[in-house]
Amino acid sequence: MTISSRCLAGFFLSLASAVAVAHHSFAVHYDGDRIVSVSGVVEEFRFRNPHGMIRITGSSADGAEGTWTIETNSPNILKRRGWAEDSIMPGDEVVIEGFPANDGSLAMRVYRIRFADGRELIGQRPAAGLER
Amino acid sequence: MRRPGLAALCLLAPALMPLAAPAQPDDFRERWSGFWTVRFESDASGAALLEQLPEDAVLIDDAGGGELAAGEFSGLALSESALAAVRNYDYSAELLPENACRAPSVAFYMQAPFPMEIYAGRDLIVFKMEYFDLYRVIFMDGRPHPPADAPHSLSGHSVGRWEGETLVVDTTHIAPGTFMNNGFDHSPNLHLTERFELSGDGSILRLTQVYEDPATFAGRAARYMSWSKRPDEYVLPYDCDPNYGG
Repeated sequence: MTISSRCLAGFFLSLASAVAVAHHSFAVHYDGDRIVSVSGVVEEFRFRNPHGMIRITGSSADGAEGTWTIETNSPNILKRRGWAEDSIMPGDEVVIEGFPANDGSLAMRVYRIRFADGRELIGQRPAAGLER
Repeated sequence: MRRPGLAALCLLAPALMPLAAPAQPDDFRERWSGFWTVRFESDASGAALLEQLPEDAVLIDDAGGGELAAGEFSGLALSESALAAVRNYDYSAELLPENACRAPSVAFYMQAPFPMEIYAGRDLIVFKMEYFDLYRVIFMDGRPHPPADAPHSLSGHSVGRWEGETLVVDTTHIAPGTFMNNGFDHSPNLHLTERFELSGDGSILRLTQVYEDPATFAGRAARYMSWSKRPDEYVLPYDCDPNYGG
């Protein structure tokens, strides 16, 4: 895309699209066009840059069972959205929605976490049209 | 009484001009200094700045935290050597502890969705970036870039000047450290030209970056970004942990 007046409008619109936060590439490792849901119990939560990491044992809506490794955006970004190191504790029952790994492994980038007590945490927001 | 010393000084004055500090905008310290957070919303306020970009520049569509997928380069024509490097790039290695905390260069980190603090002075402007705890120093005292073989760094060597209310920064000596975060990196000879401007009320900072690096792509490339000023906020420590994933 070279610079021209007619391209500027489209360019500005694109700035409002979903935001990836990573040193390693989100677009390379995860499918930003799909959201999967996993229900399970939290085994571990780490909240360190460049990414947080949640491990849960459970199953996805389509029946993939096992231990899922779920990456978060940078904790610095999430702290400004209300996350903290003790936001997620081992033993918590959760439903996590996120963007599945491109390599088909039991991994994803988190979009939203719903807790049994009704709490909710938002990670990486999806592009318009995928949000639900 | 003749004053040969003064006459000689007058003759030398043009040669001394480049060392003189250029005029700065009024109240620039207060207006530019502070905490700036990335604007994610659609932002048409920078149209005038974008119109000043070279007509042939390719606008990279990933600023503000967006990312290009593997093999996507926003239409930029990569050199054969750059394409070969991308083909041989091992994406899985990005996740290894030895690579997890490798910071990007200024060619990529200014577009990241993290805030920054700016400290604007007459002779120096300092950017304290939250992303990877990086710093930028912009020399405003008229000094030139160092020799080509001087050490390179992720932030490079930046010299700035005021063109009216616009801060123009020229950066060289930039060590490679990813250009698009998808396996495409720049060379050590990347040349970066930036134009920063404030909105009239001082609440929005806008930036265009123009890149030239014939070793890795043809012509020129550009990015646009903008930030909002927020009082009484500070960048957080990044403290990258290579073992973040356990």
